Amino acid sequence: MKRKGLCFYLRIYRKILAQDLKSKMSYRADFIISTLGMIFTNISGFVGFWILFRNFPSINGWSYYEMLFLYGFSLVSITPVQCMFDNNWSLRQQVYSGDFIKYCFRPINLFFYYQSEVFDIKGLGQLAFGIGTIAYSWCHIDIAFTPLALLKLIVFIITASLIMIALQNAAAASCFWIQNSFYVLDLAFRFKDYAKYPITIFSSVFRFIFTFIVPIAFIAYYPSLVILRPDEVPILSWLSPIIGVAFFFVSYKIWMHGAMKYNGTGS
Amino acid sequence: MAIIDIKNVTKEFKVLNRREGLKGSLKDMFSRNYKTVRAVDNISMSIEQGEIVGYLGPNGAGKSTTIKMMTGVLEPTSGEILVNGCVPYKNRTRNAQNIGVVFGQRSQLWWALPLIESFKLLKDIYQISDSDYESMMSLYQSLVDIEPLLHKPVRQMSLGQRTLSDILAAFLHDPKIVFLDEPTIGLDVSMKAKIRTLIHALNKEKKTTVILTTHDMGDVDALCRRIVIIDHGKMLYDNDIEHLKSFFGSYRTLKIRVDGELEKQTQAIQNQFPDFSVSADEEEEWISVLVDEEKQKVLDVLSQLQKTHRVKDMQLEEISTEEVIKKIYEEGVQ
Amino acid sequence: MRMRKYLALTRAGIIESLQFRLSFVVMVIGNLLYLIVVYFLWKAIYASAGTDVVSGMTFSDTLIYLVLATALYNFMEMYAVWEIGRNIQTGKIVLDLLKPMEYRKLLFWSYSGTFVMQFLFTFLPTFIVVAIVTHGAIPMGINLLFFGLSVIIAVSINYSIDYIVGTICLYTESIWGINIMKQVIVLLLSGATVPIAFFPEPLKTIVHYLPFQSIYNAPLSLLLDADPQPQKVLTTLGIQLFWCVSMMILSKAFWKASLRQITVNGG
Repeated sequence: MKRKGLCFYLRIYRKILAQDLKSKMSYRADFIISTLGMIFTNISGFVGFWILFRNFPSINGWSYYEMLFLYGFSLVSITPVQCMFDNNWSLRQQVYSGDFIKYCFRPINLFFYYQSEVFDIKGLGQLAFGIGTIAYSWCHIDIAFTPLALLKLIVFIITASLIMIALQNAAAASCFWIQNSFYVLDLAFRFKDYAKYPITIFSSVFRFIFTFIVPIAFIAYYPSLVILRPDEVPILSWLSPIIGVAFFFVSYKIWMHGAMKYNGTGS
Repeated sequence: MAIIDIKNVTKEFKVLNRREGLKGSLKDMFSRNYKTVRAVDNISMSIEQGEIVGYLGPNGAGKSTTIKMMTGVLEPTSGEILVNGCVPYKNRTRNAQNIGVVFGQRSQLWWALPLIESFKLLKDIYQISDSDYESMMSLYQSLVDIEPLLHKPVRQMSLGQRTLSDILAAFLHDPKIVFLDEPTIGLDVSMKAKIRTLIHALNKEKKTTVILTTHDMGDVDALCRRIVIIDHGKMLYDNDIEHLKSFFGSYRTLKIRVDGELEKQTQAIQNQFPDFSVSADEEEEWISVLVDEEKQKVLDVLSQLQKTHRVKDMQLEEISTEEVIKKIYEEGVQ
Repeated sequence: MRMRKYLALTRAGIIESLQFRLSFVVMVIGNLLYLIVVYFLWKAIYASAGTDVVSGMTFSDTLIYLVLATALYNFMEMYAVWEIGRNIQTGKIVLDLLKPMEYRKLLFWSYSGTFVMQFLFTFLPTFIVVAIVTHGAIPMGINLLFFGLSVIIAVSINYSIDYIVGTICLYTESIWGINIMKQVIVLLLSGATVPIAFFPEPLKTIVHYLPFQSIYNAPLSLLLDADPQPQKVLTTLGIQLFWCVSMMILSKAFWKASLRQITVNGG
C-alpha cells in the first residue's frame, strides 16, 4: 500500500469538493435562500455595528474605522470554519442516530474524511463581505498599504482562523461525551460575536480570561494589532500563529479521542 | 493461516442507569450510577479465507460489538483479535484497506452524488489501480444490471438499489473480508434474491471472506454453510448448519391446511398440543406444528388433528433453519 | 380535562431537559460570557460618550435592558423552525399530523416544559441578580404585572412568527437559510441586540410599524417604567395584542393553505 501523504489528502479533498459543489448546484432554491440568509446576517451585523458606533468618534482609543477593521478581520477569519468545518454541526445528530459509525470504515483519517464531506459554499459570501469591510476601513485609517502589510494580513488571518476552527472542533466533539451538546457548539459559535471588540475595553481579569482561558482575543484582536498598531505589537500577537497551530492540533486530538471513545459505548 | 482469528475476546461497557419519573430525573441531576455490561463474553473463533459465515443472534446479543472489534472501531476489553495478520484496533486505517463493510440501512455512499462518482472517489481513497478498477467494473456489469444505477444520485435510489450499490461499493477495492450487517432488511422478495445471488457470485469469483449478520434465515440458507450463534455475549454454537440440525433430529415439521379462520385455528391447535410450537404462514395459509417425535409420533399428532379439524392438505418436512435458530434462542444448545 | 394532555407534554419536557444537566451549565457560562462582553462594551461606549445619558437611557438602564433582553431571548427561543424543518425533511411530520392534536399546539406544548425550565433556571436568576446588583434600578410595583402580561403575549407573537417561518420550510428545503434570516431580523428589529432607543429616527419609525418590537422592546419598556401612565401601558399592550391576534391568524391560515404541499412532496 502506498503511503498517504499530504498530496494524497489534497487530491481527495479537491475531488470531493468538486463533486460536492456540482451536487449543491442541483438544490438551487436552497442555495439561493442560504446565500440570502448569509447576506442578511452580514448586513444586520453591520447595521447593528453602525447603530452602535456611529455616534462616537472613538471608543477606548479605537477609532470607528479601526473598530470596523477589527470587525472585517473577524469576519474573514471565521470564513474557513464556516466553509470547511460545517459538518461539525451535524456531528451531534450523526452520533445520536448512530450514523457516525459509517465514517469509521475507510482507510483514511477519520477527522479528514468526516470534515471533507461538506463544503459550505455560502461562507464565501461572508469572505467577500469581510474583505470589503477590511478594504473600506483600511482606506480611512492612516496605515500604508504595502505588499508586506498584505502578506502579514494574510498570514495572521489564516492563523487566527485556526483558533476559531479549534474552538469549534472541541465544542463539536463534546457531543461524544454529553448528550445535548448543541448548546456547547452554539456557545463556541457565539464567540465570534465577542471576538470583534478590542480587548482593551475589558478589565484586567477578563483580559486575562479572554487571552488565556477562552482565547477569543486571538480570533481578531491580537493578530490584527500587527496591522493596526505596527509600532507597538505585543509579543502575544507575534505568538498567535504558534498558538493557532497548537490549538488546532489539540482540538484535533480531542475530536479523534472522542470519536474512538464514542464507538466504545456501543449501539 | 486463518484470515480472522479471535481468541477469548471480551468487551465490557459502562452504561448509565437512569431513574424513572420526575423525581428520578431530579436525582439523576446530582448523582448518577453506572453499571457494567458485558456485551461480548469470552468468544473465540477462527475463519478461513473464502468462507461465508452466518453470524446470528437475537437483538442485543453482541453481534455488532464483535463486528466493530473486527473492523478496528472498538478495542476489546480483553482477548486477542487478528484480522489478516494484524491487530485491527491498533491499525484501523491499514485494516480498513483490507475490509469492506455494509452496515444495515446506513448508506456509506455520498448521499448527493451519482453512484459512479462515489465509485471514482472510492477508487482514489482505496488507491485502486486503473486496471483493477476496470476489471471490477466489468465483473459488476456481468453480474447485475448496473447501468441504470451509475448515474443516479444515491438519495434518489430505492432502498433495494441503495443496498445493492452499497454492497458493490464494499467489494470495489477487492477486500479480503466483507462484513454485511443485515443486507436484506426491508427488501422485497425479488430484491433479496438478487442480493443473495450477487453476494454468492462475488464470494466465488474473488474468494472474499464474508461475515453476514442477519435475522433472515433465507439469507443463511442461501449463502452460509457455517453459522456462529451468540446470545447475551456468549457463543452458543459454531459449526455447519447441517450439524446443528442433527441436534434436532427427532423434530419434524408437520404442515397442514384446515378449514376456518387461520389465526383462530392456529390458537386452537396450540391449545391442543401445548408441548409443541405451532405457527401460521399467512401467505400460504399453512399451519406448522413442530413435533418432537421422542414425545409423540407425527402420525399420532395427525390423527388427533383429523378428529378435531377438517385437514384439507398436509406436508411433512425436516426442521427448518428458522425453527432451529428459534429453538436455540429459546433454549440454548445442550 | 383538556388541559391535562397539554400538561402531560409539559411534564415530559421537564424530565427530558433534566437529563441534560451539562447543557444548563454551558448555557449559564454562555450567558455569563455574553453579559461580561455587553457590560464592558457599553461601559466603554458610555465612557467615550462623556455624558451619563445617551439617547434617553442611562448606563444602568441600557444594561438592565440588554441583560433582560438576552434572558428573555434564551427563554423564548424554542428552535421551533428547526424542529418543523427537520420533521418535514424526515417525513416525521406525517406522523405528527395523525396525532389527535393540532400540530401547532402539539409543538408548542412539547416545548412548554423547556419553557418552564428556562424560566426557572435562566430568566428568574438573571432577574434577581440584576435587581440586587443594580440596587433597585428595576422598579418593583404594578409594572411587574404589566411586564408579566406583556411577556405572555410576546411568547405567543414569537411562536407565531416561528411557525410562519417554519411553514415556509414546506416549500423549500433550506432550513438553515430561512432560520438564520428569521433570527437576525427578529434579533435586530426587536431591539434585542441594540435598544430601539438608539436607532436613528427613520429606522425607529419603520420598526414601530413592525411586529418584532412587541417581542422584546415592549415588555422591557413596561418593566423599566417606574411610573406607568395608564394610557401608555394600554397602548403598548394593545399594540402587542393586535400583533398577537393577527400573527396567530396569519400563521394558522398560512399553515392550513400550505398543508397541501405535504401531499405533493409525498411525505
